[in-house]
Amino acid sequence: MVVDYVTRMGDGRRVRLTKEQIMSDIVAGMSDGVDAACVPELSQDELDHICEVVCDQSKITSIEAGKEVVLSKDAGAIKFNQDNGGSGNAMPCMGRLEGILVYERAFGFDSMELAWMDYSVKPVKSIINCETANYEQMALMTTIPLIMGAMPNLGLYYAPDGPHPNPTDLMREFKIEESMASSEAAAEQLIKDIHYTCQEIEKVGCEGYNFDTVASAGDAEFYATLKGIEDYRKMNPNAYIECGMSAENVLGIHGQMEYDGKILGGMYPHEQVKVVEKAGANIFGAVVNTNTSKSFAWNVARSAVITKECVKTAKIPVHANMGMGVGGIPMCELPPVDITGRAAKILIDIANIDGI
Amino acid sequence: MDANEKALYDAMVACKVPGIIDAVNAADAAGMAPTAIIDTMAGAMSEVGVLFERGRIFLPHVLSAAAGMNKAMEILGPKLSKDGSVAARGLVVMGTVEGDVHDIGKSICSTMLQCAGFEIHDLGRDVPLGKFIEEVKGGCNFCGMSALMTTTMTGMKTVIEMMKTEGIRDKAKVMIGGAPVTQAYCDKIGADIYGESASETTEKAKAVTE
Repeated sequence: MVVDYVTRMGDGRRVRLTKEQIMSDIVAGMSDGVDAACVPELSQDELDHICEVVCDQSKITSIEAGKEVVLSKDAGAIKFNQDNGGSGNAMPCMGRLEGILVYERAFGFDSMELAWMDYSVKPVKSIINCETANYEQMALMTTIPLIMGAMPNLGLYYAPDGPHPNPTDLMREFKIEESMASSEAAAEQLIKDIHYTCQEIEKVGCEGYNFDTVASAGDAEFYATLKGIEDYRKMNPNAYIECGMSAENVLGIHGQMEYDGKILGGMYPHEQVKVVEKAGANIFGAVVNTNTSKSFAWNVARSAVITKECVKTAKIPVHANMGMGVGGIPMCELPPVDITGRAAKILIDIANIDGI
Repeated sequence: MDANEKALYDAMVACKVPGIIDAVNAADAAGMAPTAIIDTMAGAMSEVGVLFERGRIFLPHVLSAAAGMNKAMEILGPKLSKDGSVAARGLVVMGTVEGDVHDIGKSICSTMLQCAGFEIHDLGRDVPLGKFIEEVKGGCNFCGMSALMTTTMTGMKTVIEMMKTEGIRDKAKVMIGGAPVTQAYCDKIGADIYGESASETTEKAKAVTE
């Protein structure tokens, strides 16, 4: 009789696969990761371990005692106090302070972030004086390191939301030089906005800043963020700076943006972490995207092989982004508990991540 | 793949306009059929899309390859039709649905579709749902919608329902994509094409027209 195992697809659907099918997906996912990021393959022992974890039929899977890792958080308590569409898992009556305290006291997080509901640098800039007052109050009522956070989100600097023409629209009109110039001008504006917000949070003794979902608009955004981190590090040598990415590779929308003599477009996590280190961040948030049409086994093996090389290369702690649609986790609003533990165990055991 | 086809393919993947034009002229002089030249270049353009998504090349390179393809069409056009024009593969309305301002992925998809020979009406971001209906009524035979948020992706279903109400559902293939969108969601709402990536969407749209 063929034994099959309950697992999931990248969109969260339950499927039953045999051990042979799971192992075949693990090898295929790893190979795709090796090809995409140009990183070394996993060993047979590591592949076998991934298979063992995927096939374990316990509802909840965890790591061995003593292998616990640090938990940091992006997007603040937004999951609690803002509606999450159809999932019904938001609690609109819960304020930001209560949300932060739940992460600190109920979930055991090691650091937490104060995030404004319009979670991008540009809108945060305009209310930063209110946020610094909120920060002071909340810092008095919390114990864990509390930092500010926002997405650089260069997209907001392009038309129709900002003054600069949309580079991808210009590209489609074959205005390549104009497109590049627009990206560069927008990046300079973002650098100034990051400087302003960091300068203001410094005035109230804020412990640090989380740059979240970095490079969502491509290489110019990554450049601006790196320059912003560099600037903030000069402002406060002791600041606690996190830099979490938006995707596994940096889209080369501009194509020639450089930092530290390196072209930023096309960088994968093991390359991204080196420039993030150079800029002066303390923590790098590595991202590997989930393919919704592939199985969890395929996705988590791909995530493990790409993240492993990043951790190996890094001199600063690497926290894997593990949530909806990243880090091997399916694209579900409420990631299934039978998958989150498995994905975490695999990335801790195989990729040796420092945190999540 | 013969020598001419390989030269054309390699020139496209190298993404340099002069090299592409040289390869097209050489293939034409060697007697390669214009349709075969275009097919080879279209195949290479798919490879260019994949290379972009893998981070091997950047958007200016993609556009450079597309510019080379446009030049090739100008050279080959008179041989393909009497008036020298080349028909577009299809007319596509593209937009990020109402309430959603995340349009980077949609814009890249528009670019890829344009490079593959489709005519694009890109409405941008936060597009009122009725605008998609107007475009389909105006002749678009593909309706492409993207969303990055679970709160806005439901607009795609609304557009499909509006198309049914207006009696124009069969006038256009509905393509959907974006981070929270999946094949299962595509099936659930009755869309025609789901693309995991810009290149996959383009390949599926091309397959419909072939």
